[in-house]
Order: sequence, then C-alpha cells, then structure tokens
Amino acid sequence: MNALRISDLHVKINESHILHGVTFDVPAHKVTALLGRNGVGKSTTLKGILGLYPGTGSVQLNGREIIGVPTFKIVQAGIAYVPEDREIFSSLSVRENLALASRSKENGAAFATIFELFPELDTRATQIAGSLSGGQQQMVAIARALLNKNEVLLIDEPTKGLAPKLVTEVASALSKVANETTMLLVEQNLALVKRIAHHVVVMDQGRVVFQGGPENLNDPAWVHQMLGVSGGHK
Amino acid sequence: MLRWKYSRPLLALLLALLALAPILGANPLSRPGLQQTMAVAFIWGGLALTYDLLFGFTGLLSFGHALYFATGVYVSCILINHEVVVWWLAALISIAVSALLALLVGAASLRTTGITFAMVTLAFGEAGHVIIQRNFFNLTGGENGIALNADRIPSFFISVANTKFIYWAALAALIFTYAVIWWVTESSAGRVFAALRDNELRVQVLGLNTQRYKLLAFVISAALAALLGAVMLIAAGSAAPRFADAGVTISLLLMVVLGGAVTRWGAVIGGIFYSIATTRMQDLTQQESFKTIPKWIGGPIAEPALVLGLLFIFVVMFAPGGLSGAYYRLRLRAIIKKSQ
Amino acid sequence: METFILIGITGIGLGALYFLIASGLSLIYGLMGVLNFAHGSFLTVGAFVGFWVASKMGFETSMPEFILAMLVGGLAAGLFALLIEQLLITRLYERHIDQALVTVGVSLVVGAVLGGWFGNDLRMFPTPMWFLTAIDVGGAKIPADRIVYITTAILLLVGNWALLKFTRIGLIIRAGVENRNMVNALGINVRRAFSTVFFLGGFAAGVGGVLVSVYSNGVSPLIAGTYLIYGFIVVVIGGMGSVPGSFLAAMMIGVIRQFANYYATGLGDFVVVILLAVVLLIRPQGLLGKVRA
Repeated sequence: MNALRISDLHVKINESHILHGVTFDVPAHKVTALLGRNGVGKSTTLKGILGLYPGTGSVQLNGREIIGVPTFKIVQAGIAYVPEDREIFSSLSVRENLALASRSKENGAAFATIFELFPELDTRATQIAGSLSGGQQQMVAIARALLNKNEVLLIDEPTKGLAPKLVTEVASALSKVANETTMLLVEQNLALVKRIAHHVVVMDQGRVVFQGGPENLNDPAWVHQMLGVSGGHK
Repeated sequence: MLRWKYSRPLLALLLALLALAPILGANPLSRPGLQQTMAVAFIWGGLALTYDLLFGFTGLLSFGHALYFATGVYVSCILINHEVVVWWLAALISIAVSALLALLVGAASLRTTGITFAMVTLAFGEAGHVIIQRNFFNLTGGENGIALNADRIPSFFISVANTKFIYWAALAALIFTYAVIWWVTESSAGRVFAALRDNELRVQVLGLNTQRYKLLAFVISAALAALLGAVMLIAAGSAAPRFADAGVTISLLLMVVLGGAVTRWGAVIGGIFYSIATTRMQDLTQQESFKTIPKWIGGPIAEPALVLGLLFIFVVMFAPGGLSGAYYRLRLRAIIKKSQ
Repeated sequence: METFILIGITGIGLGALYFLIASGLSLIYGLMGVLNFAHGSFLTVGAFVGFWVASKMGFETSMPEFILAMLVGGLAAGLFALLIEQLLITRLYERHIDQALVTVGVSLVVGAVLGGWFGNDLRMFPTPMWFLTAIDVGGAKIPADRIVYITTAILLLVGNWALLKFTRIGLIIRAGVENRNMVNALGINVRRAFSTVFFLGGFAAGVGGVLVSVYSNGVSPLIAGTYLIYGFIVVVIGGMGSVPGSFLAAMMIGVIRQFANYYATGLGDFVVVILLAVVLLIRPQGLLGKVRA
C-alpha cells in the first residue's frame, strides 16, 4: 500500500530542468529515506510534491492526484512539511508558530504529544522564535508538522548543522514518530537513516537510480558508489 | 525571420514621406497645426524610447526619468535667455549637464535594486521638480516656468509659418535617438543590458561589473532625454515645471508598456500614439457633437486618463507584450500558417 | 516656544494623515509584494463618498454625523479596494511589476471618472464647527482638527496592533509578511489574507481621505497624488511591512516638513525627498523594516 506514488515528475526552475522524470513509491506507515549527493534534486523533489515548484507528471496521495493542486490544499489533504532551512517565523513566539500550524481547534492532545517529545517548547512558549538556538528552532519546525492529522511527513535534512547531542535528540523524536506515520526523509546522516528507514530511494542528477531496502547501507562500497561518501555517518 | 521582409523598405519610405510632407504641397502635414502635433509626438516617441532603454532593455524601473528631460529643457532655456552661449551650444551643454547629473545620481542610486531603486529615483526626480517649482536661485521661474526669449534663437524656428522647421528638428532628434539606441542595444554592451534585465546574478558571475553597465545605460538614456528636452523647448516655446513632474515618468511607463517594452519601435509607437491621443482627445471634447453626450459619460471620457488607463489595464492583464508583442504574435502565426 | 509647540503638533497632525495612507501601503507591500499605486484612489473614493454622506446633513455636521461620514467613506473605499484586488490583482499572482502597473491604470481611471463627474475644483467638506476653534496647548493655539487627525491615527495604530496580535488572520498576516510561501506550506490559504489586507488598507485610506479633505479645505480628485507619494516615502523610510515603522516615519516626516517649511516655504518637500534618498542609500530596509528573504 503506497501512501505516495510519484511518476515521471519533471520540475523546471527558471529554465533549468532539475528533475527528469522522477519515479518512486513511498509505502504507507513506513519511513522512506531519499538519499543522494548534494544538488541531485532531493529538496526539489519534496517541493515538487508539495507544489511549491510547478511540475509535470503524476503525484498521487492515497490514489488521489495532487499534481497541479495549490500547495495549501495539498497540505490540508494531509502532507506536512519540515523544510531544509526550518523556515520558522522569527518574529512570532514559539506558541504563535505552533498555533499558526495547527489546523483544528481540538488540538489539546496534539499539543500534549509534542510537548512530550520536546519539553523545551513548553517552557519557552512565549519566547520569540528568532532568539532560539538552531536546535530549538528545528524542534519548532518538526513539532508544527506533527500538530495535525497527517498522512505523510516530508522532512528535509532535519539534523543539518546540529550539534551531535541535538542530532541524537532529533533522531529519537523522529523514530518515535516513525512508528505511526508515513515519512519521506531526506537525510545525509546515514546512521540516522540506518536506524529508522525501512525503504531507500537514491537519486542522481535529477533521476532515481535505486529503490529498495536499507540493507545496502551496510556495504561501504555500495554507499561510496551511490552516495559518494564513506560508509560511516557524516 | 520574424521581421517581415518589406518592413525595412516600407519604413524607409515612411520616413522619407514624413520628412518631405511639409513641402510636398497640399497634404495634412503641410499645415502647421498637424506639424506641431506631430513634432510633439516625435519628441515623446523618442523620450519613450530612452525610457525603454532603462526599463525594457536593462530592467531598471526608474521613477525619476523626467528629471533629465527637464534638465534639457531648463538648462537650454536659461543659457539662451541669459545670452551665455549660442542656441545650439546651449543645447549641447544641457545634454552634458544631464549626463553628468545622471552619472552622479546613478552612481548613488544604482547601488540599490528593484523597488528601492524605483523609490530612490523617485526621490531625486521629485527633488528636481521641487527645485524647479520653488524657483531656487531665482533661475527657474517657479510655477509659471520661463518663456524662451525668441530673439535668441534663429528666425527659422519662430512664427507659425515656420513650424515645419520645428517638425523637422523633432523628426531628426527622434531618428538620431533611435539610431543611437539601436547601435547601443545591438552592441556587446547592449547584450549585457539584456542579460542584466533577465538575471543580474548570472552577469556578475561572469565577472562583469554590472554597476558600470547599468550606469552606462542610465547616462545614455539621460543624455538623449536632454536632447529631446532641448527640442521640446523650441517646440513649446517655454520651460515649465510640468516637464519635471512624476506624471511625466508615469506617462513614459504607460507609453512603453502600451507599445511593448522589449522592442525599440514599440516604445516609439507607444509614445507617438499616446501623445497624439491625448491631444486629439482634448480637441474632441471641444466639438459640438460631444456636448450632446450625457454628462455622466461625457465627463470622464473627456479626460484622456480614462481611456488610457483602461487601455493600460487591458494591455497589462491580457496583452503584456503591448502593441509590438501582439504584432509579433500575429506574425509568428502567419509564418507558421505559411509553412504548413 | 509657542511657535515650536505649534509647528510640532501641526507636524504630528500632518504625520497622522500620512500614516492613514501609509499603513495600508505598508502591509500590502509587506505581505503581497504589490506596490499599490491605486492607494491614492482609495483615498479619493473615501473622500467623495464621505462628502456625499456629510453633505446630506447640511453645511455643518455634528461630531457623530462627521464620524458617520468617515466610517461610510472608509467602508466604501475598503470595498472598492477589495473589488480591485479580486478583479485584477489576484489574476496577476506573483507578477509584481504587472500588479504595480495595473494599479497605475486604476489610479488613472478613478481620477478620470471622479474628475469627469465632479470636476477638479475643491468642494468644502461639511465639518463640525468646533474643528475651527483653537485649543490652547502650552501657550500655543492648535487648530482643533489636528487633534482629530492625531486621535484617528492613534486609534488606527492601536486597532491594527490588536488585530495583528490577537486574531488568527492577524497571525497569518504577520507570518505572511515574513515568509508567505511557508504560510502556504502550512496549509493556510495566504491569499485570503491578501483580501483582508487590501480591504483594511482601503478602509484606512478612505478615512484618511475624509480627513485630508478637511485639512485641504476641500474634496478634489487632485489631492490624492501628493499624499500617495508621501505615503510611499513614509513606508520606505519606516520599513516595508512594518506598521509601527510607518507610524514613526510618518510622525518624523510630518514634523520635519513643517519645520522646514517654517524656515523657508517649499523647503519642506525638498528636505523630505533628500531624507528619503539618504535613508535609502544608508539603510535600504528602512527604520524598522527587515531585509526580505
């Protein structure tokens, strides 16, 4: 059962053809890792799914075609997004950032869950988000994706630029979430990927070059060939 | 390929006819009235083209272009009236002054881009307008402007019978302006201007000093605007603050968009059309038949801004390439049909 | 000393008028990226509708009647703004230069229509008689109408603050000014906020139009032009998207202009324009503006 089916997705940005017919599936209730070297089009793929960049081809959410649908409607249909640069609203407080993201009035339980995952957000609720540390901002970004009932979570490099201790915290939060929801995760940190991914998709130059299980991540030669890095975590 | 093979010969023929018409015997252009209208129209056509160099070609949205036009008008007028130099030298000096002014203003304002640049140019343009209106240094004649002292210019520019000389001067100025801008935009500098419009970052990455190219476009367009200003002085017989206000620049923007911002001839046609339309519409409202229209329709129609504003909205919403854009689209369709 | 107070307070009164125009312009640009050249027409529409209401009450109006005229004028202007936004601006989504150009067209059309129907001459706006009295402040005699402008501006500032801080639409607007794409990516139709901002901006401009007509001793389509230019200057100096920034800048500019004009007639406009150039060259994002993403 696939939560997301992407078929032949082409995306052009300002005359540059970035995605050349990307095709892969995201199985429901599992974590799919989207891997590849820098610049191959992973973030662009997430944005293409969301309609943040116009694309052609097909993107189906639980069988429903969403290509060409306005972004806000796609998100309302149940796709949550944690962007690469977090993009929280620095002039709003933590609570306001979260309240903005919450789409239903009956959100007491949802808020309880995220405060359980990230207790600091509760203590810092009235703090202006711009004054938070990088790690805390990342927590806000992830928390707000968890506030609504979502079919799919699109998460773009959540551990980028974080200190190792925070990477562990984020990783454990993500693995708790991973058990209950469908996740499409772009990540460079292979240790995290090995820990939570059920399914792996590798991209190169705007195309998918591999789809399969995560076993190959244990093979340094494969990792080096596919991802151009050594087998340990970055 | 897109150019119709007869367009250049026809254009040459048209120019020849326009040039000779005043002396070709009885035709509409043998009368001083139409000659004056066309002279002013040619000046606006040229001015629109200078604005197009900035906006359409280099992507610089300036709200202070009137400043350089007014500099041409006023500096020439002041120099001639105060008997400082002979009339044609006064015009040349006004061009130099305008170019220098543009160099200074440009050096300061081109450090900004987009909306900020538009606002900065607006500020300088309005500063110039205010200086002229408030009669600083008692030179600019304030609200009423300065009448050109007719003794100081050649007799062939004076008197209604000699309107054709003004007509020819305006036509010559338009052709000269077009030639210069054609040469500049076709040159390698011109290619940089076009690249700047589309993607400044890409140009910088190529190692080119974008600032210098933008300044070049800015100064050239200002110098030509001043030339046209000097000609306007002779056509209007006086220098007036209305040549310096923001409304002039807005009109230029309209002309360029209506005619088509990316083509040279589009801007010229836009300017000529706009100028004739505003003059003609004012004449139309004086007609007897017009007075029979009920006031609630006739009132607004009498204001040229209504038709022009509606036309402008229409063009922006549905025909963004303006007149020349539409022409090329039709041309493309004709070519495709012919090849089938 | 009295002269100082007089010039200062009349300057603030003028600044209040600028703020009524600028607040809408600032939010419209900050949230939507649209340079709204039609904002002056909102002022004019408000002025004329308010004038029509007020003139039904006779040569002189009582304070409640005047307030009614202001509110109806504001409402009319707000609805007109909404109409323009729905008919024209939404169709040019994210085409910012074309959006700005279309608003130029609107301003021409509105000016032509109102000028054609009513002529360009000034018509006295019926006001309460006490507007003409002078109030003694520290020895200076302040015309009472200035107090009305300042009060209205303060009410607008407070109302705006409350809206932005306590309502959901206000939250969406604040977030959208910072990053409208991300607001969409949170499942919120940020374009609904556009309509709200256009309506509110139009309303404020309409109310401003009524007050400007009182200040200028008459209603006319020709007045809006200068106020629009000053509105832009205030928004740019205060910082695009920042309503408090516009308030601050408006007050500053009003006061500076009055003082400069006191020393030499006509100097005021010149000084403001030079100030604009200086601010833009030193701090392009304005006093309280942020460098946009």
